[in-house]
Amino acid sequence: MTAFGQVAVAVARRNLLVTFKNPALILPAAIFPLVFLLAFAGGLSNLANVPGFSFPSGYTSFQFVFVFLQSAAFGGVFTGFAVAADYESGFARRLMLAAPNRTGLIMGYVLAGVGRFAFTASIVTIAGLAAGMQVDGGVVELGGLLVLAVLVNVVATLFGVGLCMRTQSMQSVPFLQIPVFLILFLAPVYVPLDLLDGWIKAVAPYNPATAFLETGRGFISGEPDHVLVAFAAAGAMVALLGFYALRGLRKAEAGG
Amino acid sequence: MSGSNGIVVSGLRREFRGGIKAVQGIDLEVAPGEIYGFLGPNGAGKSTTVLMLTTLLPPTGGSATVAGFDVAGQGAQVRRVIGAALQEAALDNYLTAHEHFELQAGLHGMARKQRRARAVELLERVGLTDAADRKIGGYSGGMRRRLDLALALVHRPRVLFLDEPTTGLDPQSRSALWEEVGRLAGDEGVTVFLTTQYLEEADVLADRVGIIDRGRIVAEGTPNALKAAIGQSSVEAVPADPRDRERLADVLSRFGEPASASPKGVAVRLGGGTEELVDVVRALDAAELSVAGLQVHEPSLDDVFLAKTGRSLEGAGDQPAAEERAAVPA
Repeated sequence: MTAFGQVAVAVARRNLLVTFKNPALILPAAIFPLVFLLAFAGGLSNLANVPGFSFPSGYTSFQFVFVFLQSAAFGGVFTGFAVAADYESGFARRLMLAAPNRTGLIMGYVLAGVGRFAFTASIVTIAGLAAGMQVDGGVVELGGLLVLAVLVNVVATLFGVGLCMRTQSMQSVPFLQIPVFLILFLAPVYVPLDLLDGWIKAVAPYNPATAFLETGRGFISGEPDHVLVAFAAAGAMVALLGFYALRGLRKAEAGG
Repeated sequence: MSGSNGIVVSGLRREFRGGIKAVQGIDLEVAPGEIYGFLGPNGAGKSTTVLMLTTLLPPTGGSATVAGFDVAGQGAQVRRVIGAALQEAALDNYLTAHEHFELQAGLHGMARKQRRARAVELLERVGLTDAADRKIGGYSGGMRRRLDLALALVHRPRVLFLDEPTTGLDPQSRSALWEEVGRLAGDEGVTVFLTTQYLEEADVLADRVGIIDRGRIVAEGTPNALKAAIGQSSVEAVPADPRDRERLADVLSRFGEPASASPKGVAVRLGGGTEELVDVVRALDAAELSVAGLQVHEPSLDDVFLAKTGRSLEGAGDQPAAEERAAVPA
């Protein structure tokens, strides 16, 4: 294995070990999406009866996709917290000092983010199925949903890593959460895009989260839509935020 | 010294944002297998120098090679051959010692089979075998330091950087660490670059000492040579009867120039070295002077620092510490 791979695996392993040993780190990441799923899919299920709401797989499936992608995004955000915590505790210095290839550190955090998401995704999926979620998509469509969610997770992790390597402080956590919340909620969360109204209807079509949600919902209902747009947007964001994270690493190196 | 385990530093500088010059062009060479003590008060530039030599902070001027690799352009190669235990032992409270070894060995790309064996060997060497599966959160300061040192050795580094490794340690842990550092250099040929603000540590442990003040090296050499270069031993006598102080000063003045002494005592530098002590005692006896105390002061590294900077090393760090203020990322 190359030095890049060795560093990435070591960092990912350590982060997952710390996460799963520490209930305070893993429980919120699992509980929040569950609460959202229960609150939205249960409490708001009558929205499916609104005229013009057309989603053949039912409201639980409609909301599941949002919660699934949201847990992917917040898996990345929580990994950003871990980066900030490493800098505050001084542990990042150990990593910077021992890693022959420091770019591997970013990949390690990305793999850890994916690992966190794998855990919450499993819980959310089990909860969705237990709540009677209807899955009409086949293996390929569901695979597409999973890949899309992983890309969202990677995007959020890269944003978190880039920001926290610059600030090196837990005080940057709000600046990590707020953009992710804004992007997620300026999208058709509760009803399809066509039923949105007012200023949010003007904003939502330009929000990449809209493409992710619509494509994800298309996957679960077996009627994929806007697939290219969603994956192109996700790919572009991975590239852009990958560069942002790399620049963050270089700034951290320059600052000691 | 290229390709060896040595360190070569030439005109190394680090200036932080705001114009704070933490290191102002230092030159030094550390031979392979040597223990080099880098001595100075808080804020003198010791830690900034270590950060640059360990590739954690890029220099803003000059050059440095560690084991033949340039710290600015060959960071990855430098990191492969060095180990470092920095001031704050960077450990994760949620991990055990074994898990730290797994991480450290993984970062260095050690084969999985070797990791466990090396961890067991090093944990035994630093006396942490029984605590190896406990979370670090429950470790004492001394245990954390020892684990940090063991982690720095996991990949058998050729050059070891220790940044104030004994700060906050009890005397027993301190001497155990000294012993281990001495063994590493003596038996394994590891080059050790050690920063300290403890005079005794530099005196006991280091083959050579560099004294840094305000970002500049003010003296360098073996501890004995440095002490010999700045002056002679002095003798201080305290009269049994305070009224004899004048007479005592007269007698002692035959042996050398006056030196600083305690309020009740009189001291002179011994021009002829400590061999003159017998003559001093004879002279006092001949003058029928009774003394309450007689002490010989050998020159210390603090005297060296005093001679070179006009200040005492102890307390010199109380002045504004440029290095500490500059430790904020630029």
